[in-house]
Amino acid sequence: MLPSFSYVRPASLDDAVQHLAAAGARAHAGGTDLIGCLRDGVFEAAKVVSLADLSELRGISDSSSGQLRIGALTTVAEVAADPVVRERYPALAQAAAAVASPQLRNQGTIGGNICQRPRCWYFRGEFHCLRKGGTTCYALAGENQYHCILGGSRCYIVHSSDIAPALLALGATVRIAGPRDGRAVPLDEFFVPPSSDVERETVLEQGEVVTEILLPRPEVGLRSSYRKVRGRGAWDFALAGVALALVITDGRVAGGRVVLSGAAPIPWRSREVEEAIQGTALEPDVCRRAAEAAMRDAQPLKRNGYKVPLFRGVIEEALTAIRA
Amino acid sequence: MSKDVSGAGDCEQRDSGRVSRRGFLSSVGTGALTVAAVGSAAAEAAPSGTVVQASELTKVALHINGRRHELLAEPRWSLSFVLREELGLTGTKSGCDRGECGACTVLIDDVPRYACMTLAVEAEGKPIVTVEGLMRGEELGPTQQAFLEEDAFQCGYCTPGQIMAAEGILRANPDPSLDEVRLGVSGNLCRCGTYAHIFKAARRAAELKREMGGAA
Amino acid sequence: MTDRPDERYWEEGADVPETPAPQGDPAPWGTTEVVGTPRPRVDAYERVSGSAIYPSDVTLPGMLYGAMLRCPHPHATVRRVDLSAAAALPGVRAVLSAFGPFDRAVAPHEELLRDDLFVNPCRYEGEAVAAVAADTPYIAADALRAIEVEYEVHDFVADERRALDADAPLVHSSGNRVAQPNRYVRGDVAQGFAEADVVLEEEYRTECEIHTPMELHGCVAKWDGDMLTLWESTQGVFTIQSQTASSLSMPLSKVRVIGHYMGGGFGSKLRAGKYTLIAALLAKQTARPVKLFLTREETYLAVGNRPPTTMLLKAGVKRDGTLTALEFTGLGSGGAYRAGGTSALDFLIRDLYLCPNVRTETADVYMNAGPARPFRAPGHPQASWALEQMLDALAHAIGMDPTELRLKNVPTVSQARGGNPPYTTTGLEACIREGAAAFGWQEAVVATAAQPADAPIRRGVGMAAALWVAGGGGPPSTAIVKVLRDGSVNLNLGASDIGTGTKTVMAMVVAEELDVDPDAIHIEHADTGTTPYATSSGGSKTVPTESPAVRAAAIDVKRQLIAFAAEQLEVDPATLTLRDGRIVSTSDPGTEVPLRELRGLASRGTVTGIGYRGPNPSGKAVNPFAAQFCEVEVDTRTGEVRILRFLGAHDSGRVMNRLTYQNQVFGGITMGIGFGMTEVRILDVDQTGKMVNRNWHDYKLPTALDVPADMTCVPIDRPDDEANTTGAKGIGEPATIPTAAAVANAVYNATGVRMTDTTIDPARLVAALDGPRKGE
Repeated sequence: MLPSFSYVRPASLDDAVQHLAAAGARAHAGGTDLIGCLRDGVFEAAKVVSLADLSELRGISDSSSGQLRIGALTTVAEVAADPVVRERYPALAQAAAAVASPQLRNQGTIGGNICQRPRCWYFRGEFHCLRKGGTTCYALAGENQYHCILGGSRCYIVHSSDIAPALLALGATVRIAGPRDGRAVPLDEFFVPPSSDVERETVLEQGEVVTEILLPRPEVGLRSSYRKVRGRGAWDFALAGVALALVITDGRVAGGRVVLSGAAPIPWRSREVEEAIQGTALEPDVCRRAAEAAMRDAQPLKRNGYKVPLFRGVIEEALTAIRA
Repeated sequence: MSKDVSGAGDCEQRDSGRVSRRGFLSSVGTGALTVAAVGSAAAEAAPSGTVVQASELTKVALHINGRRHELLAEPRWSLSFVLREELGLTGTKSGCDRGECGACTVLIDDVPRYACMTLAVEAEGKPIVTVEGLMRGEELGPTQQAFLEEDAFQCGYCTPGQIMAAEGILRANPDPSLDEVRLGVSGNLCRCGTYAHIFKAARRAAELKREMGGAA
Repeated sequence: MTDRPDERYWEEGADVPETPAPQGDPAPWGTTEVVGTPRPRVDAYERVSGSAIYPSDVTLPGMLYGAMLRCPHPHATVRRVDLSAAAALPGVRAVLSAFGPFDRAVAPHEELLRDDLFVNPCRYEGEAVAAVAADTPYIAADALRAIEVEYEVHDFVADERRALDADAPLVHSSGNRVAQPNRYVRGDVAQGFAEADVVLEEEYRTECEIHTPMELHGCVAKWDGDMLTLWESTQGVFTIQSQTASSLSMPLSKVRVIGHYMGGGFGSKLRAGKYTLIAALLAKQTARPVKLFLTREETYLAVGNRPPTTMLLKAGVKRDGTLTALEFTGLGSGGAYRAGGTSALDFLIRDLYLCPNVRTETADVYMNAGPARPFRAPGHPQASWALEQMLDALAHAIGMDPTELRLKNVPTVSQARGGNPPYTTTGLEACIREGAAAFGWQEAVVATAAQPADAPIRRGVGMAAALWVAGGGGPPSTAIVKVLRDGSVNLNLGASDIGTGTKTVMAMVVAEELDVDPDAIHIEHADTGTTPYATSSGGSKTVPTESPAVRAAAIDVKRQLIAFAAEQLEVDPATLTLRDGRIVSTSDPGTEVPLRELRGLASRGTVTGIGYRGPNPSGKAVNPFAAQFCEVEVDTRTGEVRILRFLGAHDSGRVMNRLTYQNQVFGGITMGIGFGMTEVRILDVDQTGKMVNRNWHDYKLPTALDVPADMTCVPIDRPDDEANTTGAKGIGEPATIPTAAAVANAVYNATGVRMTDTTIDPARLVAALDGPRKGE
């Protein structure tokens, strides 16, 4: 049962931003993550600022520059079903379809999805952990089977979004409104690793809100995919996942990105894989070596050593599949 | 030796100062008004900048099963709480109150959502359909009838949510494949394990709806 | 079945004397008209329309909402509870703890509160510490957050495998052994191993599984003067009645428990909860009805589980498939209290296969975790995980088909029981043979063997067999069938329908005897105020327990009706029968009287038949049997397992309702898939001892995408006429016993990797596949 909070549903983005600038104010988009966090006491909200009436933040459209604009309040289900997304950016459609459950996809928004708080059970549970202002990361010596093997530092969460790795692979940019001027941030610079700041996952400041996501026009030869391995068939976060956005010309990899989910505290770009496949025709031994390379710097914890063979397997499989 | 589990005791750390005054609540608890729906479910949002205080009950108008219900609600009240405890629509069940089981599934804007993860104030102005809303008078609706025929439940507690999930699939896609059905009900747990019969029921419901033509 | 817990509030009620035997057992049915057909449930309309009122749906005027505060530590002493801030919140109507103050309403129960409800020290995370009642559940939650508790935190042990270590913290001062290990021996095990051609030994482990029925545990409590009414989500209203009356020192007649619908239990709702008594006390304090349902998180901590189990099994077999010896040790923990940590754990080892030399030893230990409760076939899925994988390995070792090895060792007597009583019927062989035939086992084995060795996606098939220790039911049971003056019928019985279709099956039994439409029968059940005593619905015994009594009641009422008709028609009652609402002569087609014109009925208004359950045959064992088969597809690069199809072949005696029977089989398989593949209670063993996955996202129940749509039910429909007068045995529990082992065997068949520990999930399987493959 939720603790109490005040509630406001502003009619304009400017009003919303003003409300959100106050200490303790929290934005309510789909609410699926907000309500869960409030229920579990992960954080408190003095004021919930509903974005429900900001219809301008909803919908998918082409921009004049050839980018695809996805309003931050577009639901995950709408993204997954959108014919343009499915045709041009299959990785994003597949990632959106792999999120949580149908009901949550119908409610949760793409903006909320990339801003969601970590799913670490210590962070979500009755533990005053480092990320909540405490002094200990319980995962380090505890039940860390679902924690990170790359990029951990003081805190060992994984970033739990499926959509963020796909967007990052596709080179997306987010547009942000805030108390000061709005800004656009490439997704590469949007997520904050624990080595920089252990109490936040994104660069958003108090009062700021993601308003839209921009996807660049697909290059000729772009192929993309998202493959997710999870512990059960639905309503489960990635044990390991890989988003591929590769430009393949004349049968060879001319460029692109490889981003891992379930690996690190942020969506994890694997430059090792990108280098290993650059210029190749993704021959079987290339895929195998690339998968090996991805795990070169992996530092498993006590209970998540399986992620190393799992990532090798899923990366090899995804690379093999995208070649076909 | 005492282990350091500081922070483990959620209850110990909470202050008690955030709780609102609500002494008159018991007198309005069942005072929800029900009037026939008039026209469309137009939104009645609070004006921009009008803040409902945490301690306040605010008027909420919900459009449920074609009828308009006005009631007083706290901002934190979930739609499932309001449906079940304030309006007596207990066909919608409560299994987890955290968006993980689907027993509270209702249609909002014709798509299945978890009523427990939806604030009642956020549902204002949108058409809501609960399992009671699938009835045609005293007759079962086609999806309900299909669940009956296929014995697509055991204890029956997840069943209204399963039915609403199946109804949501069929409203979007009148002839779903087996895989589409499985995906569509994958947000609804059934601890009795009747999924195989639920798959049959959803497809039988599609048949029944077709047989009934547009009426269903 | 299960060990009796030592907590006073958990005790079963006083023994009920056996009811009188019926007036001579009726002859077996032979063929039936209604019984055995596939039939939708008599209460389906209520369940699918949303009109069925479950206990958690009950709302009463003036009703308050209760909530419980629970200890956040696995082991702690409560030094102080300050309820003042909580009590001062507007809308809070009552607060309770072991520390008082005790007002007049609860003062007589101070001892109950101190010793039984708010136990101190708290030996598991989730032990009750305080409770509140408030105008809304939100205010109740605010009140819990406002309670201040001072805990002295103690060391804990949260892994049963460490409970007997010399330095393990003590859960109880008497030590961490619940009792001396249970030992069983028959024959000479050493001799048996010496005679074997192949001896294998393996350690197995199954994780702690949690019931989590969809409806939360709880009740609504309401007082009318000295009369307490409880609407409780329960498997047995009479157990709740007796436990509540005993705890509150009330006569049984003043406690009425109603449980018409309930949203699942699986063994976790066989007894009253602390919530039951706390709701009653809060209602007494406030003089208002109180609804107290737990949160989902609480159900993970405090209302039962299937104990985690570690098992060592050694087995010997001759080349011809003869089992020569089995040696088994099992360690389990029912948590912080005596709760059956190794309950029935070795029964399958002792009884399922013919084996002259068997030795078992099981040890139940305490740990600082929530107490177990009986969970669908206690002990059996765990032992099946070990035994059935071992049989598979033995078959492999001697080059014999796994079905053949089992068929070689089918017993006709219960070896585990004293005097080796014969089974009334055993369908074990039929389950294996007919199941294998329907599955296409031989063809599937050939097909999987023919797969290319280097294919990353691999198929495999597996099977496992089982029996269930109970499932025969027995007395006491009393049922009442009333025929009203228009010929319509009421059935009155005390048993709960926990989702297995009890009401429907019993209506079909009445319909069979009285030739009426089952849907036309009004059923009154599961209400201590209006129905005769019944034992709780559990142990797969409800149908074999209740259906003979129901049949006897129907026969009793029919006998009376025929007697009235014989008098009215002036014929020999032996020539009359009841058909389609009329008493008709079997010898003279024109002679008949409709029930509505039967003077003896009209003058009485109602004719009542009473039926009792007779005893089971002496010197015989009544058990259901099973064999299940599955095919899986494994992605060897990722460890993902997709189950393609499942088949359950079950001997549960007469099939009473083909539709609900099949539903039980599929449900059991689904739950077994969860046990084997997705469900694990995870305790933070190295740091805080707290459960980290107390929700349905982190604790993973199987979803619609985790079970195959291709499920087949092969009933071995052989009425067990010796067992009881309807010929039925139980199906609910056997349906889940062999499932997980069948999956493990299929995964082995696909990959050559033997998964000795649950769960077979991608994480564990990919790690196992990455390691050295185990030899043939």
